[in-house]
Amino acid sequence: MGFQITPKEYVDYIILAGEEIEKNGEYVTALDAKTGDGDHWVNLNSGFQKLISMQEELKTMELAPMLKKIGMTLMSAIGGSSGVLYGSGYLAASKALKEAGTLDIDTLYVFLQTELNAIMERGKAKPGWKTMIDSLYEGVEAYGAAKEAGQDERQVMEALKRGAQEGRDRTREMEAVKGRASYQTHKGVGELDPGAVTMCIQLECLSDYILNHKL
Amino acid sequence: MLAGMAAVNPEVCYDREGEVIYRRKKAEKVGIVSGGGSGHEPAHAGYVGMGMLDAAVAGNVFASPDPARILNGIEHADSGRGVLLVIKNYSGDIMNFEMAADLAADMDIPVRSVVVRDDVAVKESTYSTGRRGIAGTVFVHKIAGARAEAGGTLEEVAELAQRTADNVRSFGVSLSSCILPAVGTPGFTIGEGQMELGMGIHGEPGIEQTAMKQASEIAEIMVEKITADLDYSGAETAVIVNGLGGTPLMELYILAGEIDQKLRAKNITPVKYLTGNFMTSLEMAGASMSMLRLDDEMKQYLTAPCGTMAWKEG
Repeated sequence: MGFQITPKEYVDYIILAGEEIEKNGEYVTALDAKTGDGDHWVNLNSGFQKLISMQEELKTMELAPMLKKIGMTLMSAIGGSSGVLYGSGYLAASKALKEAGTLDIDTLYVFLQTELNAIMERGKAKPGWKTMIDSLYEGVEAYGAAKEAGQDERQVMEALKRGAQEGRDRTREMEAVKGRASYQTHKGVGELDPGAVTMCIQLECLSDYILNHKL
Repeated sequence: MLAGMAAVNPEVCYDREGEVIYRRKKAEKVGIVSGGGSGHEPAHAGYVGMGMLDAAVAGNVFASPDPARILNGIEHADSGRGVLLVIKNYSGDIMNFEMAADLAADMDIPVRSVVVRDDVAVKESTYSTGRRGIAGTVFVHKIAGARAEAGGTLEEVAELAQRTADNVRSFGVSLSSCILPAVGTPGFTIGEGQMELGMGIHGEPGIEQTAMKQASEIAEIMVEKITADLDYSGAETAVIVNGLGGTPLMELYILAGEIDQKLRAKNITPVKYLTGNFMTSLEMAGASMSMLRLDDEMKQYLTAPCGTMAWKEG
């Protein structure tokens, strides 16, 4: 029997991720000021802080409605493009997981894959474009490959984390295709993408939460 | 700002929660919803009323409203016959409006969208978002609104709105920048005695900076850019000579006179002019020209009655 994350435990993960995002404020904002508007962290952080403030309510909910609620909340509280992208990811996951009561090694994979596809579709963007997608894409790929290869759940979670980190690091050499950085002559080359950094933080927290508490 | 717009216009209500201006009397027809960042007044809330929009959704200055707000606007506009979204082509607006359309579909509200991309200063490209939507969007509001008012189905309204969007082109020039209230300093500057051709309504870079020109030369550039992109020869057209916020009406009329001469010399017949501030960029000095190539149906609905704060007809 592998790990099972209940909706209540997913909220615990959200709290951890929110705390980690909070801690990285100065770093992410300094990175963003070099290539973007400088408001990515402020917006994302207010989204996660809003979720943390709603934890009691979220913890009473079933998985699919809870994911929908998280999506709608992030959409409004983050705002802008990041808000609608995270919102799309969570809303699509909510639909895909209507029948699932908890997240296990298989449904979590469905979750992440659905989120990835929804974000790519909504943003009309692909891996390699120096965005949040790069962390998620590499993480999901590594997750799938490790699962396919029959590795144990601990190894699969390690793979997810490593993949996300590699995706994040690869954005350093990528040229921005979309967003503010794409208007700059160097197209952000030489700097990590702030959206990939914050996406990676969430995937690291998710993986660590499962490794530390569930396996 | 929206509270003020509702205060001076008894025909509309202000939903403070959702930042939506909507028609006081819900009409039994296809609903028309538009919106986008603030700072472009009277767009879009000034076009809410009989014969045009049923709801306008506002974001912060130059930032798209989020999908929850847009969904709120859709619900205000929906009378059971579906809703058409008129979207200007910016990546933020597209994502947020499409998301809202998905949410509305989940609630069994039929939604169609038309995306306006009239700014000929931007090259179409498969990678970038492509041409921006600017003042030509107002024609889409008007014609789609009139078609809906006349009892058109969602399909019919969407088809005519798309045809209108396909037949309108715009080009703008700017003489000064604008200051976002939250930032307090201009994001860019235009030198004294200089002007920028093709700047966007959020101050996006244009195609070139040049020495200030006479109205006749500016009119020449606008007409040439627009007619080079779409064949207007022999056509009847409607023209918006639009102020960007900081240009006196006197100058717009001078520009309109020059534009009219150039068009007639090209065997293009403007049958309808709108001159004034229709889609602005805060206090930016400058003007844009939008021109719609009319067919009989578009002409009929263009001149049909409407009663909004910013455009009254009949």
